[in-house]
Amino acid sequence: MEIFIQQLVNSLSVASVTILIGIGITLIFGLAGIVNFAHGEFLMIGGMITWFLVTSGMNFFLALVGAMIFVGVLGFVAERGLFQFTLNRPMNGFIMSIGVSVILQHAVIRLFNEVQKTIPDPVGKVWVVGGVNVIAMRAVVVSLTAVVVAITYFGISRSRYGMALRASIADQETAELMGIPVRRYVTGVFVYGSVLAGLGGALMIALFPITPFTGSVLIIRGFAVSLIGGLGNVAGAVAGGLILGLVDGLSAGYGFPEWTDAYSLVVMIAILILRPQGLLGGTLGPRAT
Amino acid sequence: MKTLSVALVAAAFVGLVVRPAHAADEELKIGVVAAESGSFVSAGNTIVAAAKLATQQINDAGGIKIGGKTYKIKLYIRDNRTDVNVTIAAARELVDDIGVKAIWGTETHDFSVSMAKITGAAKVLQFSGNSSLGAVLDDKSVAPGGWLHYTFQSEPQEWQRSGSTAKGVLSLLTPLMAHPPKHSVVFVGNDATGQYLSSHYVKALEAEGQQVDLVKYPPDTTDFSPLLTRIKGMNPDIVHFWYNGDSTLTAFPQALKLEVAPAYFLFGVDPGIYQERQLKSDKPVTMSCVPVCWGSSPYPVVQDYFKKYFELGASKGPQSSVSLLYYDYFFMYAKALEEVGSIDQPDAVVDALLKMSYQGVVSPVPLTFNAHHQVTFATEVCLVKPGTSDDFNCTVEQPPPAPPPGDTGG
Repeated sequence: MEIFIQQLVNSLSVASVTILIGIGITLIFGLAGIVNFAHGEFLMIGGMITWFLVTSGMNFFLALVGAMIFVGVLGFVAERGLFQFTLNRPMNGFIMSIGVSVILQHAVIRLFNEVQKTIPDPVGKVWVVGGVNVIAMRAVVVSLTAVVVAITYFGISRSRYGMALRASIADQETAELMGIPVRRYVTGVFVYGSVLAGLGGALMIALFPITPFTGSVLIIRGFAVSLIGGLGNVAGAVAGGLILGLVDGLSAGYGFPEWTDAYSLVVMIAILILRPQGLLGGTLGPRAT
Repeated sequence: MKTLSVALVAAAFVGLVVRPAHAADEELKIGVVAAESGSFVSAGNTIVAAAKLATQQINDAGGIKIGGKTYKIKLYIRDNRTDVNVTIAAARELVDDIGVKAIWGTETHDFSVSMAKITGAAKVLQFSGNSSLGAVLDDKSVAPGGWLHYTFQSEPQEWQRSGSTAKGVLSLLTPLMAHPPKHSVVFVGNDATGQYLSSHYVKALEAEGQQVDLVKYPPDTTDFSPLLTRIKGMNPDIVHFWYNGDSTLTAFPQALKLEVAPAYFLFGVDPGIYQERQLKSDKPVTMSCVPVCWGSSPYPVVQDYFKKYFELGASKGPQSSVSLLYYDYFFMYAKALEEVGSIDQPDAVVDALLKMSYQGVVSPVPLTFNAHHQVTFATEVCLVKPGTSDDFNCTVEQPPPAPPPGDTGG
């Protein structure tokens, strides 16, 4: 029983970073209409910046803020400098983002070398509760993810800006006629998604070492989460992240462990066949002209 | 006639002036194919760094004297991006377009085998430091005309390395445990190399009286906690993190926090990186290095090697010692070329290497290749004192004389 509960606790923390990257992708892909395959590298860079700042003597939580700001600026530059030119041709943007991801990987290798980076556990405590080991830093990650999810969810579903954003997705031309600055909203969503990637990277390096190639592994899960939940749907991304986390945790614990990745992707395929719009529904994704 | 005479005199003059300078610039082209990016980058970069160090030392010492000429090595380094297709393309370019005489690399079995199909046909020598080549190096394949005649395995046979490692790990851990260990779990990445290596290591542990469970994880796993929790439920005495040093350094701290086992073994992790990362465990931890370790070796020649290795800019990765699977063989190859007196007689170079006994850094015993083009040397296993990051007790274990029961060798 203790092992089973430990697996459930593990699943929750597995899900957290996935949810963070999933929310970023679901916003950028589902709302801004940009397929950014370099989003995983944004997360990796967030981790690298955190590593750099922490090893330079900065407190982890300050470094986390620094990483969010840095990746947010990176997102702004990428959107203004690159992706704004492919908004009407999402496939061009997709291919371009693959190139950007490779460039970012090699830029990081050139700057910081290829060796995996790690920082000391910022909290460094393990609570044993009823025979279950609860790693304190993982609890922090779960809590921060919950806060981010709540802010993002209410920001999109309840705020004036969120309503305007949803209106511009539903009918861009009408929204523009109503005075909504749609282009600015696209940039804003891209930057916000990038900030979340920075946060995800900072939290990730607090849990695991990262390498310049970490992003390319995570991006698949990020897209899986956003598609399972429904593009542009924050609650859907949370549901998708939790489902994948649970499938990962329980399949690793009780299935064939070497097939762990396959289980979660099979679940994704099954959901997309049964509910093409995702579990909780969402936008239709990027608009092709 | 006068014009011709002037031309001849001029040509002779030009020859006199130019030839000595040209002779000093003879080039020996050597290729290096290694993962400078991708999941094998830690191992791949050690090949490149070792090649650069050996090349610099050979060239600085005056080069290689072959048949009355002096050759300087020129390296052609190609990043295979941990991708077999890129590896094949790189080998093709090095062999067909550049015309290298030998290639060092790569780090994984399937890549090395793919490359050997190209190097063998072109009579280009290949030095690959992965033991899984043992599965294909046999009497027929290494014979003259065989497709691996020019391929050399610069790492001991896997049953030898597994045998010496298992013996060393158990001998160091047992005195520190509450009871003699009986149940081991081998935790390994589920790729071609991991499957091959672990199959031998499981047999070696069983030969030492262990009951062994094998748990495989998908390559590129970062969160090992579900798998480690599963292992914890098996109540192991020792968890053996096998084969990929980067994955081990990711998984091991998670295992400590989850209190998975009373003792651990970390394969492919140098004591030097354990110290750099300031890892600490209140449980006994052992680690092994394929030849000799970075960070703990008492041998001055090894200490001197790693000093120069890092001075040249090599990264302090988890598997820096893997570089020693490649370094010595530059000097062996150079010596073989000098003995043969030509860079264009690869069959004679193969014969010279098979007869050679060379005292390198990798082993206190001279290196020799067996009839299947494989070397033999010991494994260093180190125990870190619980609660410390830098207090190591190391032992050098010789390989067993024969494969254990159930292991067909290779």
